[in-house]
Amino acid sequence: MDRFGELARRLGMLLRRRRFDGDLEEEMRLHLELRQQEHIESGVAADDARAAARRQFGNVTVWRAKSRTAWGWEWFEHLAQDLSYGMRAMSRSPGITLVAVLSLALGIGANSAIFGLMDAVMLRSLPVNEPAKLVLFGDGLDEGISDGFPNPWLFSYPFYRQMQQRNQVFSDVAAAFSMTNRVHGFLEGQSDAEAMDIQLVSGTYFPTLGVRAMLGRTLSDEDDRTEGGHPVAVVSCAWWTRSLARDPSVLGKKLTIGSTVFSIVGVAPPEFFGTRVGESPDIWIPVSMQKEVPPGFDGYNDHMFESLHLMARLKPGVSMEQANANVNLLFQQILRGFSGAPLTEENLEKLDKTRVELNSMATGFSRLRRQFSAPLQILMAVVGLVLLIACANIANLLLARSTARARELAVRQALGAGRSRLIRQLFTESMALALAGGVLGVAVASGASHALVRLVSDGRDTLHLNVPLDTRLLLFTLGVTLTTAVLFGTIPAFRATRWNLTDSLKDGRSQAGARAKGPLAKALVVSQVAFSLVLLAGAGLFLHSLVNLTNVDTGFNRENVIRLRIDPSSAGYREDVRLTRMYRQIEERVSALPGVRAASFSIFTFNEGTWNNPVWVQGYASGHRDTDVHHNAVGTGYFTAMGIPLLAGRTLGPQDTASSPHVAVIGETMARTLFPSGSPIGQRYGRGGPENAGDIEVVGVVKDVKYNSLEEDPQAGDYLPYTQNVRYLNDFEARYTGDFATAVAAIRQAIHDVDGTLPISEVMTLDEQVARSITNQRLVAELSTFFGLLAVFLSSIGIYGLMSYVVTRRTNELGVRVALGAERSQVLWLVMRESLWLVALGIAMGVPVALAGDRLASSMLYGLRASDPVSLLAGVVVLTAVAALACYLPARRASQVDPMVSLRYE
Amino acid sequence: MARGDSLHRDEIPPGTLYLLILKTLARSGEMHGYEIANSIQRISDDVLQVEEGSLYPALQRMLIKGWVTAQWGSTAGNRRARYYQLTAAGRRQLAAEVSQFERVIGAITRVIQTA
Repeated sequence: MDRFGELARRLGMLLRRRRFDGDLEEEMRLHLELRQQEHIESGVAADDARAAARRQFGNVTVWRAKSRTAWGWEWFEHLAQDLSYGMRAMSRSPGITLVAVLSLALGIGANSAIFGLMDAVMLRSLPVNEPAKLVLFGDGLDEGISDGFPNPWLFSYPFYRQMQQRNQVFSDVAAAFSMTNRVHGFLEGQSDAEAMDIQLVSGTYFPTLGVRAMLGRTLSDEDDRTEGGHPVAVVSCAWWTRSLARDPSVLGKKLTIGSTVFSIVGVAPPEFFGTRVGESPDIWIPVSMQKEVPPGFDGYNDHMFESLHLMARLKPGVSMEQANANVNLLFQQILRGFSGAPLTEENLEKLDKTRVELNSMATGFSRLRRQFSAPLQILMAVVGLVLLIACANIANLLLARSTARARELAVRQALGAGRSRLIRQLFTESMALALAGGVLGVAVASGASHALVRLVSDGRDTLHLNVPLDTRLLLFTLGVTLTTAVLFGTIPAFRATRWNLTDSLKDGRSQAGARAKGPLAKALVVSQVAFSLVLLAGAGLFLHSLVNLTNVDTGFNRENVIRLRIDPSSAGYREDVRLTRMYRQIEERVSALPGVRAASFSIFTFNEGTWNNPVWVQGYASGHRDTDVHHNAVGTGYFTAMGIPLLAGRTLGPQDTASSPHVAVIGETMARTLFPSGSPIGQRYGRGGPENAGDIEVVGVVKDVKYNSLEEDPQAGDYLPYTQNVRYLNDFEARYTGDFATAVAAIRQAIHDVDGTLPISEVMTLDEQVARSITNQRLVAELSTFFGLLAVFLSSIGIYGLMSYVVTRRTNELGVRVALGAERSQVLWLVMRESLWLVALGIAMGVPVALAGDRLASSMLYGLRASDPVSLLAGVVVLTAVAALACYLPARRASQVDPMVSLRYE
Repeated sequence: MARGDSLHRDEIPPGTLYLLILKTLARSGEMHGYEIANSIQRISDDVLQVEEGSLYPALQRMLIKGWVTAQWGSTAGNRRARYYQLTAAGRRQLAAEVSQFERVIGAITRVIQTA
């Protein structure tokens, strides 16, 4: 009944333990004295009276102890005792303790950091209502706008509406644009444009997810009924905090985007980042407003404007199979029912074979997951191995220490300490060590996970990943910590208390202890060496692969190019001649700057997505459906600015105007595949169908370039003059000489001289942009190298420790050998032989494991077979060298023993 | 009192120590440990004998349960002593223990008499 009061009283006693002892003592003394007094008054002699009083009272010590234990804190006092004893023991060898705690902190911290990232990218549930009931149409990996038919990954708005109305399996269906719009908008009361990421979503988006507004309201289906009729916006909590400092009067504030004034109707809850892991839009706006949000898409009523990800919530009791059947039935019906759908025989045949795959959306979806799953799993395995090595080290240290403490433990056992009590004490020490490592590990992890998120924030934009130090992470860390304590604490604790007492008591540096330590310690060192080799060889492999990647010929010259983005749509430009005139002016001004050789606008440079569709070559009967061509619209200076060499014909020039015949420069792969016979110069092709095959004339051939990744195979590509393909070109690049900062300042000035309202963002070098495309490869290579070296370092500490121990033990014998005339070098070799043998054994065991492990990583390697002999050999060499050094130092000490000293040592 | 006296005294039945302490405190208000021991002996005509130290663990448990509270005060001889006092919960416990005790004793008595 009164559990709480009882606990409070018990705790109160714990806090006032000192005073409690004093009080009890005083109380009992009073009792004894009063009783003695009573006896004296009845005529007993003082001494007898005291004895009688004591006899009546019973054993004072026992009653005091029982009074104490009544409060139930006995375990706590033992623990405190063990802890303080352990601390004292550890502080006697601070060096060893420091190494142990630090290696544990690094090991545990690394595990927690990688786990935190893995949790955020792969495991954590979406912060929505009942995420397990949410399904995604397709895999969510495609981004952009497609007009493919049929398309089971991206969907049009009319398709979404029909699916929403006609399905029988979902309580609601929602749609979201597959990409966010980066715009520059004006917040009421502020004069500077601000960059913001806008996600266009259906009105059902928030209700389907079950996300309620923190302030105001979320969007509703009513906000998505009529095209252009609902200028409302919901903002993210992060944006509200960043841009409005959590101003409570946010509701109703005006936000000008493009030429439309939106009013803010709500703030999303802080934990809701959206549905795509790794991205967090600032503002959600109804799909019905897509034309008003730059760049002004026009797909609200277009059946073939496929740009949406669809998600839905299963009705209670509906299984995934039922949902699948219903969705696919409707998919066929809806697409066949669209007027204007390209229902050719070929397309209908394809439609018959196409199925929409429903996937659980419990953990959201992300391209991050595809990109980082493999690296994160590999890193998790790597840090796990490092922690194992650290554990082996600490087990060895504890073994060594318990050998040194053999005598002390034997004395305690002889004096009656129970074995279980001693094991508990040794275990408490291990636990204290592990916890110290764990606490430091949390600090390491929180630093490391921020660094990691920064590291993986690759190419296109920064990664919005929240890796908080939350309960899950702390629980994981605690679990790892306890596991390590068990791993390294158990064997030493049991072994230390198992000795034959008399042997240990007879001899401080007991042979019994040495025997006990021998094989186990050696096995630990051998396994450390083996694991280190696995890690080193893996690291070598990833490094080698990274070197291969950085040496890939991109086709363009990545040195000395500045690239940046401008946002003409936010500055009020439309896709018309005013836009191209502005481009031309900026190109001319920037090209004229001293230190700039050439400048040009383009849609893409590298790793920014692609625009591709099939082309038809004049003179061919059928279209080359399998020849997707990567298009780019560029200015005349593009080839010089990017350093793409011309192979035949000419590049684009001022003669290619809006009214002149349409021309293109093509890459060599396109030239080879589409124009196999003769020179492609003067040949014609077109986009959009066979009837357009005569549209474009080839005027030049340039070297192939990489489009999206360094790993990709050569792709067919062409370059169209932007004068003949008027559209937003957000990329601007300039080849410069001299200082980067000076050049950037001059270019910014030149751009703003043409139009001061143009927002400029993402200024960096082309080289940087290329480097960012291989972030995860770099991440894996750098981290695995770091951990590989750490593993070698830890192992060498293990070897060093074992060798030092062996040398101390054999001082006597070595002294005798030297006294009998053994050469120093012989002694040196004698000692080193013992541990080099262990290293060799470890390497022999590690090689097959490394080969097997490397095969698992083969999907992440570029230009290498998994069994790369170079990296394996490098691993063996590094490991052998470090291990030999770790053996050499104690061995040299041994060879320098003075026989007299060592003989007297006993 | 002579040595060996205690041999003639009876150990109290197990489990009744709480009852005795509770009853003693209920009768006399505040008491310190020595007084409680004395009171139990005196009222039982020296028949019931507790090893006096056993009072203290029992008192700790009663403190934890909240049946008694303790306060420091002064004895008649002006010495510092810890006085124990019954709480409301202690009174309820006393009533419960008394009725349980009577039930058990009654049952035992009936068993003995019908023998």
